[in-house]
Amino acid sequence: MREAFQTFFNLVGAFFTVYMMGYASFLFLSVTVGASCLYAAKRRNALKNELPNQYYVPVSILVPAHNESVTIEATLHSLLALDYKLYEIIVVDDGSTDDTWQVVQKAFHMVHVNRPIQRKVPCQMIEAVFETRDYKVPITLIRKKNGGKADALNMGINAAQYPYFLCMDADSVLQRDSLEKIVRPVLEQDHIVAVGGAVRPCNDVEIENGQILRYHMPRKILPCMQVLEYDRSFLAARILFDQFNGSIIISGAFGLFKKSVVIGAGGYDTTTMGEDMELVVKLHVFCREHNIPYSIRYASDAICWTQAPEKLSDLCKQRRRWHIGLYQSMTRHRRILANPRYGMVGFISYFYFLIYELLSPYIEVFGTVTMALALWMDFLNIRFMVLYLGIYVLYSSILSLTAFFTRIHTIDLTLTFRDVLKAIGLCGVEVFGLRFILAWVRMNALLGGKKKQRGWGQIERKRINFK
Amino acid sequence: MFNIFYSLSLKQSDKRLAQIRGRFRRRISKELSVLKQGKEIDPKHLQYLRRRLCHSRYLIAFDQALKECTEFEETFVMEEYSRQIQTVFLHLAIIYAGKEDMEAAYFAYFVSQHKSRRIRPVDVIQNMMVEYMKRNFYCRVNALQALCQFGSEENVVKAISVLDWEGNFLHEKILTEGLMSFSGSHARLTSLLWEKLESFSQKMQLAILNYIRFKSGDYCQGMLLILENSRKDKELRLCAIRYFGKYFYEPARSLLLQFARNRDPLYWEYAAISITSLASYQGEAVIEVLVDAVHSSNWYVRYNAAVSLKAHQLSYTELAQVTGGHDRYAREMLMYQLERKRMEQKEWGAVS
Repeated sequence: MREAFQTFFNLVGAFFTVYMMGYASFLFLSVTVGASCLYAAKRRNALKNELPNQYYVPVSILVPAHNESVTIEATLHSLLALDYKLYEIIVVDDGSTDDTWQVVQKAFHMVHVNRPIQRKVPCQMIEAVFETRDYKVPITLIRKKNGGKADALNMGINAAQYPYFLCMDADSVLQRDSLEKIVRPVLEQDHIVAVGGAVRPCNDVEIENGQILRYHMPRKILPCMQVLEYDRSFLAARILFDQFNGSIIISGAFGLFKKSVVIGAGGYDTTTMGEDMELVVKLHVFCREHNIPYSIRYASDAICWTQAPEKLSDLCKQRRRWHIGLYQSMTRHRRILANPRYGMVGFISYFYFLIYELLSPYIEVFGTVTMALALWMDFLNIRFMVLYLGIYVLYSSILSLTAFFTRIHTIDLTLTFRDVLKAIGLCGVEVFGLRFILAWVRMNALLGGKKKQRGWGQIERKRINFK
Repeated sequence: MFNIFYSLSLKQSDKRLAQIRGRFRRRISKELSVLKQGKEIDPKHLQYLRRRLCHSRYLIAFDQALKECTEFEETFVMEEYSRQIQTVFLHLAIIYAGKEDMEAAYFAYFVSQHKSRRIRPVDVIQNMMVEYMKRNFYCRVNALQALCQFGSEENVVKAISVLDWEGNFLHEKILTEGLMSFSGSHARLTSLLWEKLESFSQKMQLAILNYIRFKSGDYCQGMLLILENSRKDKELRLCAIRYFGKYFYEPARSLLLQFARNRDPLYWEYAAISITSLASYQGEAVIEVLVDAVHSSNWYVRYNAAVSLKAHQLSYTELAQVTGGHDRYAREMLMYQLERKRMEQKEWGAVS
C-alpha cells in the first residue's frame, strides 16, 4: 500500500515539475517578449515610424450600459474628448432599473426619434431611440429590453453605421489618443478583423480631457495588486500571443472589430457570460473554416482606464464571472484543441488557457490536498517543500516585477519611488495570497447552478475622477 | 535588469538629446546670421553635418533644432539654409539607404519635413524615395509623404507603380490621403494616373479612382466607360457610380436609373449606391424610381432611397404618398429621415 502511495506521489511530483516548468517558461517568455516589443515600439515612435494623425477609419463606439447612472456621463464626456474625427457613439441601455437612460438623455439633450434598425444579429426588442447632433459626433441612445451585455452589444452592432465598431464598458474611460492607436493596426496590415487594446485600473488616477493628469498606484491594497496582475497580462502575455496571431481574448472593456466579419460569425453569443472571449474564439473558428485571411492584433499603446474592484467580494464576483465565461467559451469551441486546422491557436493559445487558466485552480487545489496527504503519511520533505515554495514565490514575484517595470517602455506611465516600493512589497503577497484566494473562487465558480445566468455581474461603482 | 538599466539610461538619454539639440541650434543660428549678410554657408558646417547626421540620434536632434529655428526665423532665410544644405541631404540619402528600415523611414520623414520649397530636390533623393517603396511599411508611408511634398507628378506615379509591382500593402486610405496632400499640380497628377490606370492592380485602381473622385470632375466620360463595362471589377464600377453622385453628368442618368430599378438581389449594391447618387439628379423619373425603391425588400436600398428623397426637398404632401401608404417599413424609413432633417435644420439654425 505504501509503495502504491509512493508511486502516486512520484507521479504527482513529476506532473507538477512539468506543469511548473511550463508555467515558468511561459511567464519568462512573455515578460521578455513583452519588454522587447515595447522597447522596439518606443524606438519606432522616436524614429517617427508611425502614421501621422490624418487617416481616419470610421468607427462606431458601442457603450452597453446597465444601471450605470453613476459613471455613464463621465464615460460619454471622455468619448467626446477623443482626438479622433470620424466616429459615432451608441449607448445601449439594457433595461436598467436605475435612471441610466434619463441621465444620458438629460445630460446630452437627446431627442426621441423613430429610427428603424435592421436586425443583422439577434437581440431583444427596442423600447425607444434617442439621438443628438449637437456635439462633435452623433450620439445615439437605445433603450431596450434587458437581455444581458452580449445582447446589448448585438443591438449596438445593428445600429452601428460604420464598418468597424469598438466595444467598451460604461464604467471605463478611453485615453484621448486611444482610438487612433487601436485603429492603427487596421491601416498597417491587411485583413485585420479585430484589435484588442490595453486596459489599466484607474483607481485614484486623475484624468483630464482624456489625458492622465496624475498617475500613481491605487492607495488600497486590493486594486494595487490588480495593477500587477493587469501589467502581467497586458504588458507581457498578450504581446506574446500577438506574435503568432494567437490572441483568443480581447477584453470586453476595449476592443475594435470589423463589423461585417462579426455579423458573418453571428455576433455576440447571448447565452454566455464571457461574450468577449467567446467572440474572439468564434472569429478564429469562423475565419479559418471559411478560409478568410485574417489577423487579430493587440495594440499595447491603445489605453482604456477601468475601475478595478476595491472590495474582495466584488473581485470574487468578477473573477467568478470571468471563469464561467472562460469555461463556456472553451467548451463551446473545444474542437480547436490541438487541431491542425486552427494552427497555433489550437496548439498554443487554447492549450495554455485550458491548462493554466481553466484547470489551474483545480490543479493547484489538487496539489495542496496531495501535499497535505503526503505530510500526513510522512512522505513530505518539509525543508525541500519550503525551499521549493520559496523559489516559486520569488520567481513569480521577479517576473511580476519585470512586467511592472516594463511600463518604462510605455509613453504615458511614469515610475515613482513610492510606486516601486509598493510593487515590490505587494508582488509576493499577490503571488502567495491573492492568487490562492482567487484560485479557490475560480474553482468554485463552476459548481452550483448559476452558470447559465446572463446577468451583468454588477460591482459597486464609484464616480470616475474625470475632469 | 535590462528594464532597470534602460530606465536609468532613459533619463540620461533625454538630457543628452537636449544638449545635442542646443548645440545644433547654436550652429544653425550662426549660419543663418551669415546667410542674412548674403554670404554662403561655411563649408566646415556642411562637413560637420555630413559627419554627425549619419547617426539617427543626431538627425532627430537636428530635425528638432531646425523646427525650433523655423518658429522665430524668417522663412526666406530658412529656405536658403535648406537649399544650401541639399548636398548634405544627398550624402545622407546614400548613407541611410544602407541602414535598417526603421532609420531609413526616419530619413524619409526628415526629408519630407525639410525639403527646400525654392528648388526641386535633386533626382537622386527622389529616386531613393521611390526605391523605399520596396521596403517596410513605414518606409513606404514616409517616402510617399516625402514624394508628395516634393510635388513631382512623374515620381509619384513611378512610386505608385513600384509599390504595385512589388505587391506591398499600403492601405487604400493612406494612399488616397497621401495623394490628396500632393503639393504639385493635381490636374497633371490625375491625368498621368488616369493614363496608366489599366496597368495597375484592381486595388490600386480603386485608390486612384477615389483620389480622382475627390479632386477632379473632368473624368466623367472615362468613368462612364468603366460603369458601362460589365467585365470591370464591381468595386471600380461602384466607385464610378459614386463619382456621378459627386459630379452631375447627364449621359450617366439613364444607367443610374437602370441600376436603381434593378431588384435582382445579386445587384443590390449597384442599386443602393445608384440611388444615393440620384440625389443629385432632378426629374420625375428619378422621383418615381426613388419612391419605388423606398418599398424595396432590401434594407439598404430602402434606407438610401429615403435619404435621397429627403435630399430632393419634396413637399410633405408629396411624401405623404409614401408615408400614408400601407408599407410600414417604407413609412418608418421616411419618417425617420424627416425627423433627421428637422434635427439638422435645428443644428444649422444653432450654428448660423
